[in-house]
Parts: sequence; structure tokens; C-alpha cells
Amino acid sequence: MFSEQAAPTAQGLLSPPSAKPPTFPRVPVSGYSDCSQPFQLGERSFSRQYAHIYAVRLAGMRPGLEQRARSRWGNDIALRKLSELQAGEKCCVVGTLFKDMQLQPSILQEISEEHNLVPQPPLPKYIQPSDELILEDELQRIKLEGAIDVQKLVTGTILAVYGSEQDDGKFLVEDHCFAGLPPPLPWTGPSSDRFVLLASGLGLGSVSGEALLSTQLLVDMVTGQLGAEGEQSCAAHITRVILAGNLLSQNTQSRDTLNKAKYLTKKTQAASVEAVKMLDEILLQLCTSVPVDVMPGEFDPTNYTLPQQPLHRCMLPLASAYATLRLVTNPYQANLDGVRFLGTSGQNISDIFKYSSMDDYLEILEWTLLAGHISPTAPDTLGCYPFYKSDPFILTECPHVYFCGNAPHFQSKLLQGKEGQQVLLVTVPDFSATQTACLVNLHDLTCQPITFSSFGADSED
Amino acid sequence: MADELYLENIDEFVTDQNRVVTYKWLSYTLGVHVNQAKQMLYDYVERKRKENSGAQLHVTYLVAGNLLQNGHVCHKVAVVREDKLGAMKSKLSTIASVHVYSIQKALLKDSSPLYNTDYDIVKTNLQHCSKFSAIRCAAAVPRTPPDPPRAPASAQSPQRQRDPDAAGAVNGHGPPAAKPPPQQPRGIMGMFAAKAAAKPQDTHKEAKAEAKEAPGVSAASSKPPTKNNIMNNFFGKAAMNKLKVSSVPEQPKEEKEVVKPSVAVAEPESSPNAVAEKPGKKTESARNQQKDKKSKTKRADRSDDEEERDLENVKKKRKRIKQLQSDSSDEEADVPPSPTPEEETAPSPPPVPALKTELEPTSTEGSAGGRKRKRKRVLKSKMFIDEEEGCMGKTGCALHSPELTLLT
Repeated sequence: MFSEQAAPTAQGLLSPPSAKPPTFPRVPVSGYSDCSQPFQLGERSFSRQYAHIYAVRLAGMRPGLEQRARSRWGNDIALRKLSELQAGEKCCVVGTLFKDMQLQPSILQEISEEHNLVPQPPLPKYIQPSDELILEDELQRIKLEGAIDVQKLVTGTILAVYGSEQDDGKFLVEDHCFAGLPPPLPWTGPSSDRFVLLASGLGLGSVSGEALLSTQLLVDMVTGQLGAEGEQSCAAHITRVILAGNLLSQNTQSRDTLNKAKYLTKKTQAASVEAVKMLDEILLQLCTSVPVDVMPGEFDPTNYTLPQQPLHRCMLPLASAYATLRLVTNPYQANLDGVRFLGTSGQNISDIFKYSSMDDYLEILEWTLLAGHISPTAPDTLGCYPFYKSDPFILTECPHVYFCGNAPHFQSKLLQGKEGQQVLLVTVPDFSATQTACLVNLHDLTCQPITFSSFGADSED
Repeated sequence: MADELYLENIDEFVTDQNRVVTYKWLSYTLGVHVNQAKQMLYDYVERKRKENSGAQLHVTYLVAGNLLQNGHVCHKVAVVREDKLGAMKSKLSTIASVHVYSIQKALLKDSSPLYNTDYDIVKTNLQHCSKFSAIRCAAAVPRTPPDPPRAPASAQSPQRQRDPDAAGAVNGHGPPAAKPPPQQPRGIMGMFAAKAAAKPQDTHKEAKAEAKEAPGVSAASSKPPTKNNIMNNFFGKAAMNKLKVSSVPEQPKEEKEVVKPSVAVAEPESSPNAVAEKPGKKTESARNQQKDKKSKTKRADRSDDEEERDLENVKKKRKRIKQLQSDSSDEEADVPPSPTPEEETAPSPPPVPALKTELEPTSTEGSAGGRKRKRKRVLKSKMFIDEEEGCMGKTGCALHSPELTLLT
């Protein structure tokens, strides 16, 4: 989308200095509103058990699922709770899935002395053919078998199964359904091209410096220093930059202070201090030119459990002097120019990746949208705050752009729903590995990757 | 000629100082627009090569354009050495821009010198890093520092809220450290003066309205920066006491009247006292409301109103303790605020029904809040019991049963 408009003046700067070069004004922000209040935790109390999340999740999603079940299997089907099941009767049950996995890391097994187990190393996937699915509701549970893909589904999903209870006490599933796409939001997008740049995994503070020039090129392009006039005027149409997590690299997480003796580590500074200073400078350059939303990620200095709270602005003294810097939560939801964005820094998707047979990040992203929940595996395998009033991860409205950060590579898809929903699914790649960011056009919901490269010692042109 | 000057400059940078001259570095050093810098570099290269074909110049270019990669059209932006320029241009299906990125004497093995040059020059120019850029953002203005605009802002906002007759008093609530102390006593006594002025009217509604506005005012002025509060801390309670005592003779009398709530109530010292107490109580109950709303507030976060009220509270506290009443102003425990309004209402005998009725909503609110909190705890255990009873027959649920849910 950039190139066609920019092409005519591409070679314009290969000439002697001309008259006063043009300066393009950045397109003004129109209609921004932050909708991530459900993800902002005020006072936090960890004195509750996690059972309440499942209770409110089931209670919150049950009505929608019952409606979907009726529309799918007929209005006259019997909706039963597990306690009301009768053997042989065809009925529909709504409940929470639990996947019994042998390889699932269990803290109790690890610390159990009688087993003398060495804690297992982290595996890329914890699925096994012997995994079993169990459906639970508020009071009881029952094993599922039949027309249901055990490998694909994960713990914590709310679904409706249609079938009957067998004599051996298991439930034979004939069909199942999820909550489906949430109801659509009205479309009030901009009337001309407006872009939002999505980038994630800047990975500052890592030992290798290859991605640093690419990061600099990204900043220069967005702030309008790079490129010929055509490209600069296109870049002026970027209304916002969203950094979706992992601004710091995993290397900053090393905790030598825990392993080494105190006299060795007393004077050393945490690696993240230097990285945050670098981040501050980069953000300052961006903030003087474009509004930036910064989401924390897995390796960023904020709380670990979802929803991650915004980075504190005291860490970014230079950049937070500007009103264009917005430190936001993970997950993040906002209306940008009338287009609803919803996205995470990728922890939810990568966690489902570990416990499901689905391999493709885009497929998992789409599946979470169809299942009606951003992160079903929380709190089972992904850290989560013990909510008890309501589960903020339940999808109640269908966003227009749904993204996840720190994916292995860039993918995007436009999903059409039956009720007129239109969702652009984007997996934002890890910038430190791929040097790729995404540019979303709000006008027509398209997405284009932008790759930056420089020449290294071994240029493979 | 001024135009030719840049050529000499670049010549000096590249050949004499042996620098890596990137367009950005040149733009900051010469103070020109980035596009002009790019064109200057190009011009220099062209001329130098024309006059001396054996010139020791290595140039890197920036190329950007569309590239078909992995099935989708990707916009590629690359910094390439001169020898690879043609190859890169041919790879791209559409070329969006080409320009000179840098000039240096030596052949670069990798791009880290480019990065370092840009990093250094940006570091020294952090305050105006978008000055020479081609895009100007109108929204990127630094946030206004809190001190100076505070006074007119806070004066205006409370004015909008308050009745016109009390406007002057509110000014004092806005706590600019820059403003000299006399404003504060004016404010403090102004508060009492305004309430004394309200005496003749003597309606519940007015007092109630004032109470409601008091949290509004304090909310408006509770944005004050730490600095102002530190200044006021500096003035300190002792200093504030002095100011209060010395400046207004009437004030201590009023304070004392306010301070003796329950005891003075019965006396027919009457309407001045009662009304003076009413506003005192109003601010207290308003403060209690406010405290209930605020969770652990740190000292630095308290507004000036609270400082003043703390002063009163300190005084009241002393008196209260004698009368077995604990003022919860400084305590942050949840439970005490709820009994205190109740305690206040208890000793104050019926002669002040107005006072009581007004306190009741706040006390019930406070106690309901306290009760609510207590209720929460009780409810939790009840839920456990229910679930335990419910789980029979089939094995316990892993997710829905609290005991078996593993705390991850």
C-alpha cells in the first residue's frame, strides 16, 4: 500500500538539494477511546481460590451457549445439568472442559518426595495420545468420548456437547459447539487510508545487535526521516503505533543474583536497567512524532499474571513526558478511529499452542475467537488473577482487528461471520527474530508486513 | 557560496575526519531537513566522482519497495551497499524510495557503524529528535508541568462547581506552593467564614450541598503534585497551627466549637455552634466518604484539604480520645471508619436531629461498607460449604471445586 503511492517520487532524492523540502503533518487522532477498563486491576487480593473464575466463566457463557445449542440442534432439545443426566437420554450439556494430560507439569508431583522425580524440562508440546477430556459443571464431572477432538481442545473452554450418557458412566458425544463469534460491532471506520503499525518483540537488551539497526530503521520510517517524499507522506498517515509486548529481550530475565554468591553480584546491575533506558530513548523518538501504545509482554517488568498491568511511567521518564505515550494493559482493547482493536502480547496463544495439537498461531487465534474466550487455559497453565465477580476474558463484542504479538511469523486473515462480523486476524511477528512489523489499514481492514534489513558480514543477496 | 559550503563540510567529515556520515548525522550536524541532507550527500558523491574517478568513497543506499515473499506482498526497507543496489532494486516489484543512506571512506563489513553513528547523534539531540523530520505531529506536546498552571486551573474548576458566594474561599483550597502562605489561612478561615456566612440561611440542603462540594473540591484539588504537598508538609502542622492561630482570632474559637461535637451539641450555645459543627461534621463525613473511597493513600498523595482536615482531626482526635471516640482520619484500617460515625451519632443527643440525619446516610454507608466487607468474608466460607455438600456421587470437580483447584 505504501509503494504504489510512493513510486512516482521514489528517486526524487537522488538529486542536488532543491528548494525547501516539504513537511507533512501527521494525520490527527480522531476518535480514540480506551476500552481496557475490565483488564485494569485496582486493588489486588490473592486470598481467593481460583475456582471462582471457572464458576463465573461458566455462568457468563452459559446463556449464549444454550442459545447456540438450540439454534443448532433444534429448539426442543433437552438442556441438562450433569446432575440431571439419565442414561441413554439424548440431551445437551453445557460445561467446562478439563483435559487430563499426563505430561502436564504438576507442582505437586515435582515436590512429592515419594516419587523422587526430577522436574521435567520444558517441552514444546505437552500433548499425548492418552489425554482425556472431561466435562465439568458446577457440581459434577463426566468423561467425554466420541465425536470430539481430544488433542485439539484445551482446559478451560466452555462448550456445549450433544449426546447421551452411556452405561459405563461416560458421555458419548455426537456433536459439540462453542460460543461462536460474538455479536458484531457497528462499523465506523475512517473514510480514507489510515494506518496503524503493529510491532512486537523488540527484544531490547539482548546480546546480539543485529536487530538494532532494524529497530532504528523502523523508528526512522515511522517518524518520517527515512525514505523519499512519497514514502514519507504515506508514513504521515500512520495514526498510531502499538507495541505488543516483549519490549525487553528474554536475556534480561537472567537471575544471576539467585544462583551466584552475593559478593559476585553485588555491584552488577540487572540487565533490564540498561534495556529500559534504551527503550525509553526509542519511545521518546517515536512519541515526538506519533501516538504510541505500549503493551507489556512476558519479559517486561510488570506483573506476570494476566491481565498484565501497564508498565509504570517512572521507568520511562523521557518518553512519558509526552502525552502521546500511552502505557496500556495486556490484553488491550481500544477504539481507534472507530475501529475496535483487541489483542494480547501472545502469552495466551503460545500457552494454547503448548497444550493443543494446533500448530498454527493464526489457527489458534481464530479458534479463541470462535470459542468466545481470549485465554481459556488461564488459570490452569497460564497465570491469571483470581477473578470472582466476572471473567473479563470472555468476548462479548466482536472486535474489528484481533491480534496477538510475538508470533513466529506474520500471518493475517479476514474472517467473515454469519451475523455480519468482519474481523481481521493478525499474528504480529517477533521483531527481534524476523525484523518484520505489520501495517494495518483501517479503511479497508487489510494488513501488510514491513520488513527491515541491513547488510551483515554475510549478506545473502 | 552558501550552497557549496555543505560540500566542503561533507568533504571534511568524510575524508579528513574519516567519519561515517549518515543522512541523519548530517541533518543534525548541519541543521537541515533530512531530505535536504540526503540530497546533499548525493550531490557530494556525484561531484566527487566526476572530478576524481578514483575517489575513495563507499556509499550505502536505502531502498524500499514491494517484494513478493511467502505468498504475500511485503514492504521491504533495506540498507544496501552500493554494489548490491542493482540486485536489490531488481528484486523489488515496485520501488517506493531510493536515497543515499551514508557515505564513508572505508568499506563497511556490517551495519553497526551506521547504527552507532545514528545512536550517538540522536542521544545528543534527544530533546528535539523530530526537529528535522519530514513529519510533524501536532499532538506530540510534552505534558505541561503541574506547578504553574495549577493555580488558575484549580481556581477555575472549583468555581464552576461551587456557589458563587463561596468562590473566594475555594481559591485557598487550590494549593499552589508558589502562592504565599497567607492564601492558605485565608482558605482555611475562608472555609469557616463561608460556612459562618451560611449560618443565617441554616438549611440542611446548603450544608449538604457544601459537603458534597467539599469532596468535589478536594477531588479537584487532590490532583496536586507531590511538590505542593511537600511544601505544605514543610509548613507542617505546627506552622499551620501558628498561621491559623495568629492570623485569625475568630478561627480558634470556631475550631474549638467544631472540635467539641458531642459535648457542645447539647448546649444551647445553639445555632452558631450547631451550624459551625455541622459544616465541621460535614467535612468529616465527607472526608470519611473520601477515605472510604480512597484505598491506601500515601502521605504524599494527600491533598491540602486533607492536611487541613488532619490538623483539625489532630485537635479533634485529642479531644475525641478523652471522650472515647476514635477519629479514623489517619487510620487506614477498614473496620474503624464504620463504627466511628455510629459512635458520633450515639453520644450526640437528640437536640441535633439535623446533624444525626445527615450523618446517618454517611454512617450507614460507612458501616454498610464495613458490613459489606465483613459479609464478603463470611460469604466465602458459605460457598465452600455449599460446594462440599453438592459434590456427591461422581468424583470431585477439578476446576469448580475450590479445594481441588490447584493454585497455579
